[in-house]
Amino acid sequence: MCDFIKSAVRFVALLAMTAGAVAAPAKYPHKVVTLVTHSSPGAGGDVFLREMARVLPRYIDATFVVKNIPGGSGARAIAFVATSKPDGQTLYGTTPTYVYTSLMSSPPKTYKDLDPLVNVFMDPEVAYTRADGPFKTVKDLIDHAKTKRSGWGAANPASLERQAAEQFKAAAKVNAAVVSHEGGGEMMINVLNGTLDMGVGEYQELRAQLAAGKVRVLATFNPERIPKFPEVPTLKELGYNVSLEKFRGIAAPKGLPLDVIKIWETAIPLALADPDFKKIYDAEALIPAFIPHSQYGAFTERFAQNAAAFLKSSGVIK
Amino acid sequence: MPSLLDAFALLYTTPIIPIALLGLTWGVIGGALPGISASITMALLLPLTYSLDPTSAIVLLASTYIGAEYGGSIPAILIRTPGTNSAAATVVDGYEMTRQGKAGEALGISLWSGTVGGLFGLVMLVLLTEPLSRLALAFTPMSYFGLGILGLTVIASMTAGSPLKGLAAAIIGMMVATVGTDPISGVTRLTFGSADLLSGIEPILVMVGLFAVSELMVQSGSVAAADMVVQSVRIRLPGLAMMKRLLRPQAIGSGIGTVEGVIPGAGGTIAAFLSYNEAKRWSKHPEEFGKGSPEGVAAPETANNTVASTALIPLLSFGIPGSNSAAVLLGGFLLHGLVPGPNLFMENAAVVQGLYVGSFIATIGQLLVGFMIMPVCLWLVNRPRPYLAAFILALVLSGVYSLNSSLFDLGVVLVAGLVGYAMRIFGFPFLPAVLGVVLCPLVESSYRRALVLSAGDHSIFIEDRICFGLLVAAALFLAFSIVREVRSVASATEAGQGTP
Repeated sequence: MCDFIKSAVRFVALLAMTAGAVAAPAKYPHKVVTLVTHSSPGAGGDVFLREMARVLPRYIDATFVVKNIPGGSGARAIAFVATSKPDGQTLYGTTPTYVYTSLMSSPPKTYKDLDPLVNVFMDPEVAYTRADGPFKTVKDLIDHAKTKRSGWGAANPASLERQAAEQFKAAAKVNAAVVSHEGGGEMMINVLNGTLDMGVGEYQELRAQLAAGKVRVLATFNPERIPKFPEVPTLKELGYNVSLEKFRGIAAPKGLPLDVIKIWETAIPLALADPDFKKIYDAEALIPAFIPHSQYGAFTERFAQNAAAFLKSSGVIK
Repeated sequence: MPSLLDAFALLYTTPIIPIALLGLTWGVIGGALPGISASITMALLLPLTYSLDPTSAIVLLASTYIGAEYGGSIPAILIRTPGTNSAAATVVDGYEMTRQGKAGEALGISLWSGTVGGLFGLVMLVLLTEPLSRLALAFTPMSYFGLGILGLTVIASMTAGSPLKGLAAAIIGMMVATVGTDPISGVTRLTFGSADLLSGIEPILVMVGLFAVSELMVQSGSVAAADMVVQSVRIRLPGLAMMKRLLRPQAIGSGIGTVEGVIPGAGGTIAAFLSYNEAKRWSKHPEEFGKGSPEGVAAPETANNTVASTALIPLLSFGIPGSNSAAVLLGGFLLHGLVPGPNLFMENAAVVQGLYVGSFIATIGQLLVGFMIMPVCLWLVNRPRPYLAAFILALVLSGVYSLNSSLFDLGVVLVAGLVGYAMRIFGFPFLPAVLGVVLCPLVESSYRRALVLSAGDHSIFIEDRICFGLLVAAALFLAFSIVREVRSVASATEAGQGTP
């Protein structure tokens, strides 16, 4: 299976290289770089890496292949990367899942065994409701939730979305029922049929319904407004001290050589400015959010501490 | 009708026919290999679709889905091991027919019924997507709970004469399903700190162990291959009389399959079991069920093939995948920059049309591919038993291992095999266990989700009309089953007294 993927991706990467070579890409110590994801083919994390693999050869002189190691909610992928050679040949596509999995079970290797290399994107997380429902603004929603039991949805039980919903509930001082689901699709049905008053989800999950005018975005959980939806307020602006950053980046085995780190730190901002790449990630409303190696470790640690505090307060871990 | 002309034009202006047949063949093979589910068969193809145009990519994946749903029945009939989850109900009568030397006939019935079901589902997909998608939206967590309970009542008619053992088997299945991350609170349950157990135990691994591994253990323990029936290597499609007899189970299967396909999360497995149950209830020969009834093969196979088409309804109209396989198809759409949802029909009408045409070709092509692949399968199962058993074990274990390169998965299969062996020795039926594994997560999570919404008030289940209706139906089914059970016991004792 891996060979299949490798050859297919190599082919695509080659095409991309010949099509859009602008400046000479930076020399890299390896010809082939494996980007590992715990997502299965076609899922969010996988698509993110595959899109990166197409554009990166313009800035780093190597071929990028995506390797899917599903299973154990990311634990197997983390272990695979953590135990490979720290030479820049094997890297991991990070999402909050790898922190959550590390905190919730005791896998052989955790997020602490990886070195966060650079961050690339933040996902837009929004609170949304059905378009023909009674809520036009966050205030409508909260006013309703103060008088009646309101149902709020989160895509997964131990996830950033649930953390967001719980923190919002606490900040708004309402007694809403936070209902976790198994995936964003299931939650979407419950928002559309009115079982839930509000759902917390990624933009990608509601893209189609939004375009068809079936759902309305009330606010974003991101610390700043989403470039694609400048009219959507942040919860912080509305006076609720809730913000979350669903990151997508790259992590490496510990002990990466300095020159490799340097190459990545130069290449990612260039790739983010690439018009072809911009077109792709703009359509998905991904927010470019480059964080250099020197700050990404502290960012990840801060994220993990928040997540651990939430998991403890909601009784998931002791 | 210009759109119909466009559809015909697709046939000769694009490589849609070879692509649909390729996907179909790949799907049949993947579906037929025990341990490789329909969704995995599709996921393996996903990277290959990058270089294809969107229509071809979607057609390739959709026809793989169709092929896999059909392919799952082949090992279910021949070696008592469902190739996919939704073929589990086919095992009962399909394998019984094989034991009677009627493997070719059983395969023919499954092929014919699969084609009928697929065509029916396709007609529903093309004509009734709009109204049926409203049905999907009507399902609240409460309704899902009712649906799950209705599914569980099928256990009552799958207990093979011992309700207590059937119930015990169902509970074993449900216990397995509770391992992993709690669906509502996120607390880890029975994982003992192992990351491998965080996302639970895959039902397909349990089924492969229960059915295939334990069967091989039993076979290697039996003395001689004296009971082996040499199968005719010819697949036989049902004749006219048989076709007429199959109409009723097929109607039941396609009806139930349509509804279950449309409701996200219900899926082919529940549809197959419910159809089997209903076909038995309404059959003129209910006594043959479990003893090699052709209707018992036709009903579940019609149902799961109908689902392969109607599951596309929530996917296309809301972008919501109703099953793992539909999720892979969604991935295929997204990779090509297509966003399934209300606007897909307007913005990418050509892709949707291509999908319809491709699915149609794949469904018809099923007959052809089935005919070509069957003799090979029949030839394989006619090999001397020791070779066959070793071959199957190697195939199953390497298949399971190759998917995730996980030794843990292999361990799950082997442990499930041991449990299955013990269950066989003590006469516990497998199917209730399978239903438990598949339905427990649905019942549990929707029950608890509903109670979170109502703050613990159970009246929410009565207030939801769909849920109430489904619960009443479940109660009636259960009452019927009990009455039937009591009657058959009574008549058995009467008969016993009659001949002292």
